[in-house]
Amino acid sequence: MDYLARKYLRPRKIPSTACSGCGLGQVHKKVLLAIDELGLGTGDIVWGTGIGCAGRQTFNTWKGDNFAGTHGRVYALATGLRLALPPEKKIILTVGDGDAFGIGLLHLLNCARRNVGLTVIVCDNLGYQSTGGQYGWTTPAGYCTDSSPLGMWEPNWVQGGRDILAVLKAAGATFLARHTSFEGRNAVLSIKKALLNNGFSLVHVYFPCVTNFGARALGTRRPAAIYQWFRERTAAMDQAGPEVDFPLRTGIYYDASNSRPEFCENLRAWVAEVQEQGGNR
Amino acid sequence: MKRLLETGNGAITEGAIIAGCRVFAGYPITPATEIAENMARRLPRAGGFYLQAEDELAALYICIGASAGGMKAMTATSGPGYILYADPFGWAISSEIPLVIVNSQRVGPVSGITGAPGQGEFYLSRYLTHGGNFENIVLAPAGVQEAFAITVQAFYLAERFRMPVTILADQLVTDGWETLLIPETGAELEAMGLKVIERRVNRGPEFYPATDAIDVPPVVLGHNTGAACSDWTPTAEGYDTEEVEWQHKHAYRLIYKVRNHKDLLTRYEAYFVDDEPEVILVAYGSPSRVVKSAVKVAREQGLKVGGLRLVTLWPFPEEIFSWQAKYLVVEMNYDGQLVREVQRATPKGSAIHFLGKCGELPRVAELVELIRALVNDRPLPCNPREREVW
Ligand code: SF4
Repeated sequence: MDYLARKYLRPRKIPSTACSGCGLGQVHKKVLLAIDELGLGTGDIVWGTGIGCAGRQTFNTWKGDNFAGTHGRVYALATGLRLALPPEKKIILTVGDGDAFGIGLLHLLNCARRNVGLTVIVCDNLGYQSTGGQYGWTTPAGYCTDSSPLGMWEPNWVQGGRDILAVLKAAGATFLARHTSFEGRNAVLSIKKALLNNGFSLVHVYFPCVTNFGARALGTRRPAAIYQWFRERTAAMDQAGPEVDFPLRTGIYYDASNSRPEFCENLRAWVAEVQEQGGNR
Repeated sequence: MKRLLETGNGAITEGAIIAGCRVFAGYPITPATEIAENMARRLPRAGGFYLQAEDELAALYICIGASAGGMKAMTATSGPGYILYADPFGWAISSEIPLVIVNSQRVGPVSGITGAPGQGEFYLSRYLTHGGNFENIVLAPAGVQEAFAITVQAFYLAERFRMPVTILADQLVTDGWETLLIPETGAELEAMGLKVIERRVNRGPEFYPATDAIDVPPVVLGHNTGAACSDWTPTAEGYDTEEVEWQHKHAYRLIYKVRNHKDLLTRYEAYFVDDEPEVILVAYGSPSRVVKSAVKVAREQGLKVGGLRLVTLWPFPEEIFSWQAKYLVVEMNYDGQLVREVQRATPKGSAIHFLGKCGELPRVAELVELIRALVNDRPLPCNPREREVW
């Protein structure tokens, strides 16, 4: 991380306060690699976050401009910011699964519908971990957490024929991908594509939480054992996967990059048209 | 000067556009919907953006985002939507984001009656968000022309104080039709006593001075100054911190930047008070107009009575209740909200009375009757639903 950290991160925010062994740093690093490989600088990106582990660890680590919204509401805030910023400035949001797929889903869906130019990285630790390990909207069926002590019984967004990415696709998102923090190049490539899409992009990245999900749901804090759990379940989207209880289907889910007008550019163009007609519309 | 027949909703729209508002995000709700509709029609022609949000939380957050990106923004709602502003409002207060919020009060609680006026959000407008440790600026218009002026002024104060400014109107003000004069030149605007400040940019990295200073440019994202804003307790650079010492500085700033510059804010109208009358009527918004008529009628009948109309509701202008008298507070609610503050502010020995109305205005005749009773030291005729001796 050294080279990337020196170039892009605030020295006083390193090391991060994430638990040691947490996969969040790997997700963060993939985003920085994508930024670096695209030749972007700190002035090209405004970085926003939500709350929880993903929000807390990434707020204000970026050397450029930063913001952090309340739980689940950062998508609406970013819509307003998108309107005010020049189109070439990119907005990255690093958020948690609870933020995006629970409390913030209404706002997220409306960003997808509008095709607001945002790159949303959902850092998914399979539940609510910063509050101590409660089940979330992607917690695997049957797994125990503090709020599902007898096993996750509530339908989630990624099993039983449901896929949150399908919902986002139907809502109008123009780039969608899913990865795990253990993947290397593929995840970086997806994030690069997401950043190059002038529209609403979302990359869903699973990562291991050693402190809560590992300890409670998997019965271990050992990174190697947790890694094994992830590895056994990971399969590419376009391949027949292993028969597992919780398949992690990775790859590009949907790529319609730059196929729909970006919301704010569209609005700007429409306003310019109204003005050209002398307001006689 | 343009002369129109307009509603308060129309006046607020025109005031906002003159003040430089170029983003409006809202969610339809009676009786504030017309502001959204007017903005949808007017803003694109002025080069601005109208957005219909998915809910009120989104509406205010979109305004916050636009303001954090350097544009002036406004949103408008009524009680059931206003309560949803509680979350983004706190964000704007803590991050010191300038913007304007309009609340046209209708009778409640909750949905109540969409087309009847109320004044039930007096305290909510002071304490809209959780956590305390802030002061709030709330202004209350009583008519169409004033709604225009207060909107321009609200944007001015929002910029100088780096914070959301609330216009607490009511259904009769926003739906009522009156003559509206709209200035067409800078000189005409100035002649009305109004000013517009352009958005400035805090080039940072300081997030704020931990003092009560005003006229500090707001943080604007996107200028690559390393600017940061969040709802976390900030250090001077905008870093999030868990240190209580920084929270002290933050709270001090949020409270005293307003309190220590109260003289720039406090607006009120006092009439028939030069002879220090024994009885003073107090009101804000629509009822204050009936109150004023009643005081005039009572004076014509030889009753020594005066009136106070509050324009600035928060920070509460305690200092204007400087003399001992019998006060009668008239509000469009039954629970008595303003009356409690008046009770707190008036000098010892004052007697405080309350007339509450629910969803409708008081009548001049009934007010004159109450004034006569107070002047003559008679007990107030008491309808238990409306009147109470405080
Ligand atoms: S609680 Fe879990 S997800 Fe959060 S920082 Fe610790 S290991 Fe990472």
